[in-house]
Amino acid sequence: MNPKFSQLIVVLLAASLAPSFAGLTPEQTGQLPPPATHSVNFNKEIKPILEARCISCHGRGKSKGSFRMDTRETMLEGGDSGPAIVLGKSAESYLIELVMGFDPDTVMPQKGTKLTREQVAVLRGWIDQGAPWDAGVSFGKLEPINLLARRPELPPGTDQKANPVDRFLDAYFAAQKIKWPKPVVDRVFARRVYLDVIGLLPPPEELQRFVADRSQDKRAQLVRRLLADQDNYTLHWMTFWNDMLRNDYSGTGYIDGGRRQITQWLYTALENNLPYDRFVAELINPTPEAEGFTKGIVWRGVVNASQTPQMQAAQNISQIFMGVNLKCASCHDSFINDWTLADAYGLAGIYSDEPLEMVHCDKPTGTYAPLRFIYPQLGDINPQAARAERLEQLAKLITHRQDGRLTRTFVNRLWEKFFGRGLIEPVDEMENPAWNVDLLDWLAEDFADQGYDAKKLIERLLTSRAYQLPAVPAEEQTHDDFVFRGPLVRRMSAEQFRDAIGELTGIWYAKPAPRIIHADGATNRFATVRAALVPADELQVALGRPNREQVITVRASAATTLQALELTNGTELANLLQHGAEKILATRNGDSSRVLAETLYQKALGRKPTAAEVRASEAILGQPAQKAGVEDLMWALAMLPEFQLIY
Amino acid sequence: MKIFAPQSRRDFLKTASAATLSALAAGFPRAICADEVEKINASADTVIVLWMGGGMAHTETFDPKRYTPFSKGMAPDSFLSTFPSIDTAVDHIKFSQGLEKTGQVMDRGTLIRTYTAGDLGFILHSRHQYQWHTGYAPPQTVAAPHIGAIIARTLGPLNPAVPAFINIGQRFDVGEGEELKAFTTAGFLGSEYGPFNIPFPDQAAETVRPPGGMTPGRFEDRNRFYKRLLAASPIGEAGSDYQKDSLLRSLDNAHRLLSSPAAKAFDLALEPIESIRKYVPGYEPGQRFDAKQDRFGAKYEEQMVGRFGLGCLLARRLAEVGARFIEVSTEYIPFLNWDTHENGHTRVAAMKQQIDSPLSQLVLDLEARGLLNRTLIVLASEFSRDAMIEGKPDKRIKDQVEVPDRVEDSKHYGMHRHFTDAGCVLLFGGGMKRGYLHGLTAEERPCKTLRDRVIIEDLHASLFHALGISPKLAYEIEKRPFYVTRDGEGKVIPELFG
Repeated sequence: MNPKFSQLIVVLLAASLAPSFAGLTPEQTGQLPPPATHSVNFNKEIKPILEARCISCHGRGKSKGSFRMDTRETMLEGGDSGPAIVLGKSAESYLIELVMGFDPDTVMPQKGTKLTREQVAVLRGWIDQGAPWDAGVSFGKLEPINLLARRPELPPGTDQKANPVDRFLDAYFAAQKIKWPKPVVDRVFARRVYLDVIGLLPPPEELQRFVADRSQDKRAQLVRRLLADQDNYTLHWMTFWNDMLRNDYSGTGYIDGGRRQITQWLYTALENNLPYDRFVAELINPTPEAEGFTKGIVWRGVVNASQTPQMQAAQNISQIFMGVNLKCASCHDSFINDWTLADAYGLAGIYSDEPLEMVHCDKPTGTYAPLRFIYPQLGDINPQAARAERLEQLAKLITHRQDGRLTRTFVNRLWEKFFGRGLIEPVDEMENPAWNVDLLDWLAEDFADQGYDAKKLIERLLTSRAYQLPAVPAEEQTHDDFVFRGPLVRRMSAEQFRDAIGELTGIWYAKPAPRIIHADGATNRFATVRAALVPADELQVALGRPNREQVITVRASAATTLQALELTNGTELANLLQHGAEKILATRNGDSSRVLAETLYQKALGRKPTAAEVRASEAILGQPAQKAGVEDLMWALAMLPEFQLIY
Repeated sequence: MKIFAPQSRRDFLKTASAATLSALAAGFPRAICADEVEKINASADTVIVLWMGGGMAHTETFDPKRYTPFSKGMAPDSFLSTFPSIDTAVDHIKFSQGLEKTGQVMDRGTLIRTYTAGDLGFILHSRHQYQWHTGYAPPQTVAAPHIGAIIARTLGPLNPAVPAFINIGQRFDVGEGEELKAFTTAGFLGSEYGPFNIPFPDQAAETVRPPGGMTPGRFEDRNRFYKRLLAASPIGEAGSDYQKDSLLRSLDNAHRLLSSPAAKAFDLALEPIESIRKYVPGYEPGQRFDAKQDRFGAKYEEQMVGRFGLGCLLARRLAEVGARFIEVSTEYIPFLNWDTHENGHTRVAAMKQQIDSPLSQLVLDLEARGLLNRTLIVLASEFSRDAMIEGKPDKRIKDQVEVPDRVEDSKHYGMHRHFTDAGCVLLFGGGMKRGYLHGLTAEERPCKTLRDRVIIEDLHASLFHALGISPKLAYEIEKRPFYVTRDGEGKVIPELFG
């Protein structure tokens, strides 16, 4: 549609709905509270009223009834029903009529309590005194933060050769009066880094070799070695991306073609460590292999306008790559942030072949939003261009070097994964301030400088001293007065737990669900079938593997009773332990119960059992070791916080 | 996450930023009790939903119309009911033949005949079931919780040793199973409030017993051994960490549940044989009802009678020990059970046989134990069926079933299309009226709602109200309120309450 024409419709529609100013009757005028006679202070008396009661609909980018209170000028301009105030004449000002609420249909504010008589008196006094407005005060749309790329100076830190993360934290710790704690021992570091990079426990032999290694940079070497373990790295990070991109081997929509997997594309991208800018561009402007992401999930039947495939694409792109929640704005101007219905439709429309009529809370509005990305600061979309071209423009704009939101969002997600809490929280609200702005900005820039190489970013984070600090006990809630002291204690994901059980018992899944062609042309070349390669079973579901109907960026990590029931008497785990015990007993070559206990402790916890633990284990194993004893020892080990937590 | 009272958007904004930011970051629920939610005197503590998944035709069950026997060559629009109607214990309420036992307890219940399903377009049963069970049409931008999870979250367990949300009789490896999973969940409320699934009620005891073959003695030994290792572990019981504490607490809860006397309620072998036979006529000791889906198997009907019957019996036993929310499903499987795309008459006769004994016996047993007053039984289906109309008379949608010009074969004798303009919901106990009929439908096709239409929001509002929960209650997710009835707009139907 011609943009001018659509604007005209907006105006006509709005005008027909707008309250009209009839003027007050003499009787109503008599009911007005007398205007305040003192000299009204805008900042102290007026601004708070506007902020609390008016701005959420008439400021910060919102303009109900085409009326904006952003500045004195827009306020004087008025809206669809004419001027809001007549300078010097409060009794003739429409604003006063509305806040008095003589007509309940047009009372302002429309929701909540009416303004008090005292507030109206102050507003009258202010209008009568010429509505003075302090310079610099604006209720216009705020400039977004964390948007453009920014390169802060790298501080000297105490050690010029130190990891840049630590050079930023030197200053931070100094300001917080925190002394750098001593890094964790090798064994704890290795367990942490294995789980974080490839999602597996360190095999005892590798762990021993690492502990015995005398080289200075052995920790950095280990990180690099794990990052180079292509298959296991890929399988671990599949879970992270499957959660976000809603990719799975089963789920709603597949039943009648309303959904498509992107498994092969994703596997290949991770296996090849596809640079993140290209990774994102290929998802936004996809080849058929990656199309499933923006096609969304479609159930048979009629879908609510706020959940059309185009709108799903808009919501998911904003959330995953830009840390912006457009969900509310897909239905109406958001009450929780500054995004508007037009912002959501402007982005969704890019994916639509036909112009998308805006639908406000299930009611078609007859209007169309101009096609644009949610941050026009990053560039324009040509509304005349064909869909394919628009997608290309969108992909370019989001992955442009100056888009510092893309990089910050990703850096922050990784930081949250490794440290248990983001530099910005929640991780999907990237318009919140970071607790260390320079650190985030520098890492984001560095990530782009390094060619958007996710592995280099991971290496940067995991070789920092900050990552090697002792784990800090987590609290149920994160508080605004959060102080960073080290990585928080985390819990294994469902997949990590199941894979760890695989390592302990030697029992893995039977066969992978997808057919994966590897970079070298081999098909399904997997040493073991790990949890990420199969649809969720009851054990994985109980441990929090989500059904991927919604974008999941952070899983709930609290243990629940239903989980514990599954672990205590569920069939899946019981079968694994039984088969595992059989296998272990069949291959142990007459080892004593003591040796068996030591082996299982090494596999599960990466350490030798203490004398007391050996005694207890020998008692439960029996002499010679019985199958039931092996099962019960493995069960008890797997239930220990020392096993299930990442510390 | 927190609970908050219905309040204006502006008030909400004031509190939203500070209070919720931190709560959300952790991604784990925290309840803040709302003072402003209206106080409601609950008339029920427990809910049992009997789910007739697949579309239960109203004119063939609880809202019979003019009966026309089968005759070769009859016009497809010539029949409204394929069964004669029968009297019930209430003079002005008639049922369809085959529901005699239920008819005899109708004086204890309330019958809604005008449940109207949403307009969701071309029918996919699971979408309507999703809407029935969550109050919202899928898909949603956040994972909508099942009403069982909402109730579990809001009221908690009635007996801490019994899971608050128990789901009986539905498998998830059947057609549309993924769609069923999408609403059989606590969604954003968190898995603590999710369903405890028992697809085969005759295996219920195994769900609360030590795993495969483990004796109770070994089970206790294993737990004691675990405690020893825990005490010895450097990351054992000492020190406070939220992750560790929640892990240890959950394991303790599970152990308590498994060793609680209430766990005996799951064991149907403890029920006298005569009592089981009232739910499953002809039941033989040790008989199992766990055959895989086999729509052509000779024993299919017998299996389903057994499963639903035992499911209802299990529900009664669980209600006795303090379950909070139980759902028992006749099981939704595409083209089976209530999903009658052909042979409607025969299929519905079998379905009525499946439900009549257990449904009526459940009412009688709960009454005899003095539990009916505080237990609300709700029998419902996602929509109804008609021989001719797909959707609503004024909102027809694409047909899924061919109707021949003349009915030559009895397989075309029945209600095979999906009708959404009227349907039956049967309520017993929990403060509902006794012997009450709500709503009126047309006597001739279209047998649509004429008076007192009931929509899902209002039905849910009434169920919640019985439990003392406001329909305006909301939970917060991603800083927005998610109401337990859509947009907080569910309206209690006062006529239903005694």
